[in-house]
Amino acid sequence: MDAMTTTAAPATTTPVVGFDQVTKTYGSVRAVDGLSLRLYPGETVALLGPNGAGKSTTLDLLLGLKPADGGTVSVFGTSPREAIVAGRVGAMLQTGGLMDEVTVAELVKLACSLHPRPHKVSDVLARAGVTQIADRKVNKLSGGQAQRVRFAIATAGDSDLIILDEPTTGMDVSSRQAFWATMREQADQGRTVLFATHYLEEADAIADRVLVLHRGRLLADGTAAEIKAKAGARRVAFDLEGAIDEAALRALPFLTSIDVSGQTVRIQSSDADATVHALYGLGVYPRNLEVAGLGLEQAFVAITEAEEAKQS
Amino acid sequence: MNALIRLELVRALRNRKFLFFSVIYPSALFLLIAGSADSKEKMDGGGLTLPTYMMVSMASFGALTAVLMGNSERIAKERESGWVRQLRLTTLPGRGYVLAKTAAAAVVSLPSIVIVFVVAAALKDVRLDAWQWLALTGAIWAGSLVFAALGVALGYLASGDAVRPITMITYFGLSILGGLWMPTTTFPQWLQDIAKWLPTHAYASLGRAIEQSQAPSAQDMAVLVFFFVLFTGGAAWLYRKDTLKA
Repeated sequence: MDAMTTTAAPATTTPVVGFDQVTKTYGSVRAVDGLSLRLYPGETVALLGPNGAGKSTTLDLLLGLKPADGGTVSVFGTSPREAIVAGRVGAMLQTGGLMDEVTVAELVKLACSLHPRPHKVSDVLARAGVTQIADRKVNKLSGGQAQRVRFAIATAGDSDLIILDEPTTGMDVSSRQAFWATMREQADQGRTVLFATHYLEEADAIADRVLVLHRGRLLADGTAAEIKAKAGARRVAFDLEGAIDEAALRALPFLTSIDVSGQTVRIQSSDADATVHALYGLGVYPRNLEVAGLGLEQAFVAITEAEEAKQS
Repeated sequence: MNALIRLELVRALRNRKFLFFSVIYPSALFLLIAGSADSKEKMDGGGLTLPTYMMVSMASFGALTAVLMGNSERIAKERESGWVRQLRLTTLPGRGYVLAKTAAAAVVSLPSIVIVFVVAAALKDVRLDAWQWLALTGAIWAGSLVFAALGVALGYLASGDAVRPITMITYFGLSILGGLWMPTTTFPQWLQDIAKWLPTHAYASLGRAIEQSQAPSAQDMAVLVFFFVLFTGGAAWLYRKDTLKA
């Protein structure tokens, strides 16, 4: 990767997850296209991408639910299945159904007894926030409650890697926050957490590393701040009086996009300091100058748009 | 895996509708059909009285209900809901899910067999030697594995709205044409020729042979073995196909 890759783990560390040129094709669609990545112990990583980017397929390959067409997938240096049998992986799938007509407690108890190093059932229920609904039938749960039961199943034992596919789908804002607090606890205990999301603010707020996936390929890999920087992620806005020489503005260094409407100029820059410095060099007097960071969401849109422009 | 068998069983025992149809219904049907029949009079073309004949039919029918209905619809539903995928993320071995379902169904099918026997003995004076009661229970119980495998195969073959009609057609087709509800001797000849190759027909014949202290016919045994291999092989093939797709 380029200089953006910050996760410079020592070479001796066995990666928790290793993808090497992994490909998965459905008919003519390349869901995952030559994907290579490594996750290291203790990282909290967001897998970010729009619907159809290949997030779920990537997780399916990682968990051994689907075989790769090409390349190799390793988890803790072994096959996904071996890692699961060793109890090192806990996972919560978007498409992971639950056994119905049994109670939440019975189901969690089953998950605990299927794990080689189980936690206590009452602890698992409490941590996932489902103690109050422990006696309820699984098929009578709301969407958000079912998500928490899935989380309980994923954390039923002492796993080293937790995989969460769109975990907060169906949760309201407050339970979403409570959920992420719970998940941070898991990360603080030294577990590696990988979660797929299209809630971009979640990736920004929670992950220490963000992988941007688009059309099955890795577009960007870095901290949320670096992703924003890569997308030209600072916004410079100011007003100019009189006629505006747009061509001169367009030639400013590190400028990635420009929008002039009336007397107001809005610029996106990958190095706002240098851009603003050069702006004064043009001999203009910008008023109401504002320099602000972009949210990850805008950064993400910018990255994918740039990629699509390149391909078309 | 024992934990999963236990939970499948708890769930089956909680399902009143399933329990009614697999445990109570066959005995009720037995009383309905054999209720007014003379307990002494032999049926034409055989050495058995009507209650003795129908006892084996209904015990086989009950076991068939428990293992076939229990497996197929649930497997299809749980494949769709993603529970099967979730289980693949546990230490449970691949075939553990199917084995647990079959084991739980077998636990329910045993009382459905025994209750028909108790009703037949108590209310219709069916009398057999001790070894015959034991052999009958064992043969019908073990023979139900053929249909458990069929249930698994159907569960992996059909999905969504299709699974119920397919299961029902298979279930009633096998029950009626196999002669579990009425003797196949009442059928026209061409239908009898088809019926004798059905696994349900061979299944019930096995029980009747025991009632008459006869060795089971080679043809019946061959039919049962053939269908067991066919259904098990089909289930295994469909299971593998589904695993690659999921």
